[in-house]
Amino acid sequence: MVIEHAVHGRMDDRMTQWYAIDTDIHHDYHDKEDLYPYLSQTYRERLRDYGFDEGGGLYANNGGVLGRRGDTLDPADPEDTTTAAKNVGNVITNLLDGAGINLGILTGSTIKGTSSMTDLDYASALCRAFNDYSINHWLAADPRFRFAMAVCSQDPEGAAAEIDRIGDHPGVVAVILPCGAPRAYGQRFYRPIHEACARNNLTIALHFAGEGGGINPAPTAAGYPSYYIESRLPRPSFYQAHLASFVFEGLFQRYPTMKVAMLEGGFGWVPAYLWRMDSDWKGLRYQTPWIDRLPSEIVTDHVRFASQPIDEPDTPEDLLTVVRWMHGERTLMFATDYPHWDWDDPAQPFTTFPKELRHRIFVANALDAFPKLAPSLAPSAVAP
Amino acid sequence: MTAVKHPVCPASALPSGERKIVEVGGRSIGVFNVGGTYYALRNSCPHKAAPLCLGPITGLVTGPEPGRYVVERQGEVVRCPWHGWEFDILTGRSLYNPHHVRVRRYAVSVERGGAANRDAGDPRVETFAVSVEQDWVMLHLDR
Repeated sequence: MVIEHAVHGRMDDRMTQWYAIDTDIHHDYHDKEDLYPYLSQTYRERLRDYGFDEGGGLYANNGGVLGRRGDTLDPADPEDTTTAAKNVGNVITNLLDGAGINLGILTGSTIKGTSSMTDLDYASALCRAFNDYSINHWLAADPRFRFAMAVCSQDPEGAAAEIDRIGDHPGVVAVILPCGAPRAYGQRFYRPIHEACARNNLTIALHFAGEGGGINPAPTAAGYPSYYIESRLPRPSFYQAHLASFVFEGLFQRYPTMKVAMLEGGFGWVPAYLWRMDSDWKGLRYQTPWIDRLPSEIVTDHVRFASQPIDEPDTPEDLLTVVRWMHGERTLMFATDYPHWDWDDPAQPFTTFPKELRHRIFVANALDAFPKLAPSLAPSAVAP
Repeated sequence: MTAVKHPVCPASALPSGERKIVEVGGRSIGVFNVGGTYYALRNSCPHKAAPLCLGPITGLVTGPEPGRYVVERQGEVVRCPWHGWEFDILTGRSLYNPHHVRVRRYAVSVERGGAANRDAGDPRVETFAVSVEQDWVMLHLDR
């Protein structure tokens, strides 16, 4: 497949023959009623009458227009105006066709709020309904879609059962774990989820959501800041905490083929994190001796970072240095974060990078991160 | 340098607080009516080439101290629909760095019967029934 054009971007000629994989697209159900066919009467009535905590209530303001790219508002669909894309046709038109995305992973939106809920059975039922709805209404709508499924992460046994229920669907490529959680995700408490992902060849995908909501701890390490922008800036700390847990709990020793994707956490912080990880480990190795090589090598082998939001150094050329420092030829993969207001247009970033590196970022590293992607594609589709 | 005047629309079709996006000479340009005066900006944000002129039209928000918001110059600022960069509609200058980050602006005039008087209009400009009795919004582009 060839990228034909970009509606708003500047498409340079080196880009035109390239395949672009988007590792983070936010979709949602259009109306509550969409989930009713997949819910018991009890939960259907509860959703109808009371809804659920969708997360984000702590900082209800956002950016752009209603939290999304203002130019994607559809006058013909007044419901499709939130931070999540609710209209599958608009995503196909604006993103897949319009921006030139050849393969896109749907990561959900408000459903991640279930990770902060107290009622595990209701939370699990909502995830199950959302998963079935997404398979039936989004995966079925376009062969370019893939899906990162929702689970109730605070109920590892229930999450594992859900992963086993639909994990062998060819379009399901990952399991979303929202960053807001009462425990670090590498801990053995979550072993049923680790096991289920491993036996279903699914990637663990961390995504920002649920911090400070419901049962989860404060949205920053310094408690509850006043303003939305303050809540955004410490986001990498959640990815950092879970990443350390994955590495030093020995997740990747236990599951040698396991991959972890970090979505919407950015990547400018990664180089310093890897350096510190290695220097700390050299002096503290004896405390976690099952880590038998540089932890940065473990991260480079097992963890992939989605690009959005892309940092903008004062000197733009310095971005290449950051990418080199994080071993981006193996660890960095592209994401638009559509339809969020701070999305990244695939036509714009990394245009001055060497062609091989661009291929790694836009295609190859995503195929590494999500092992179930490649078997569904023609080899010619992903050649450099 | 001489300017070419392109008819945009009858003045009555672009009321105060509204904007109109036109394609002229391969360029997308937003024409704004701010309190009866017309301004035009390139419809492309210098940050990421987003369609800047489609963004919310708002005011200049300042804050002398936390928790205090002062909104002035209502209707004189456009905020990019993508990443939210703000621009002064009157000058094309960004609010965060007015001396270095700006969007191209164009002169606009209002002329009676303008569409009939145009000297070398682009044929792709949207056409209207021409009346010499009407005031027309005219966009000036360097030749």
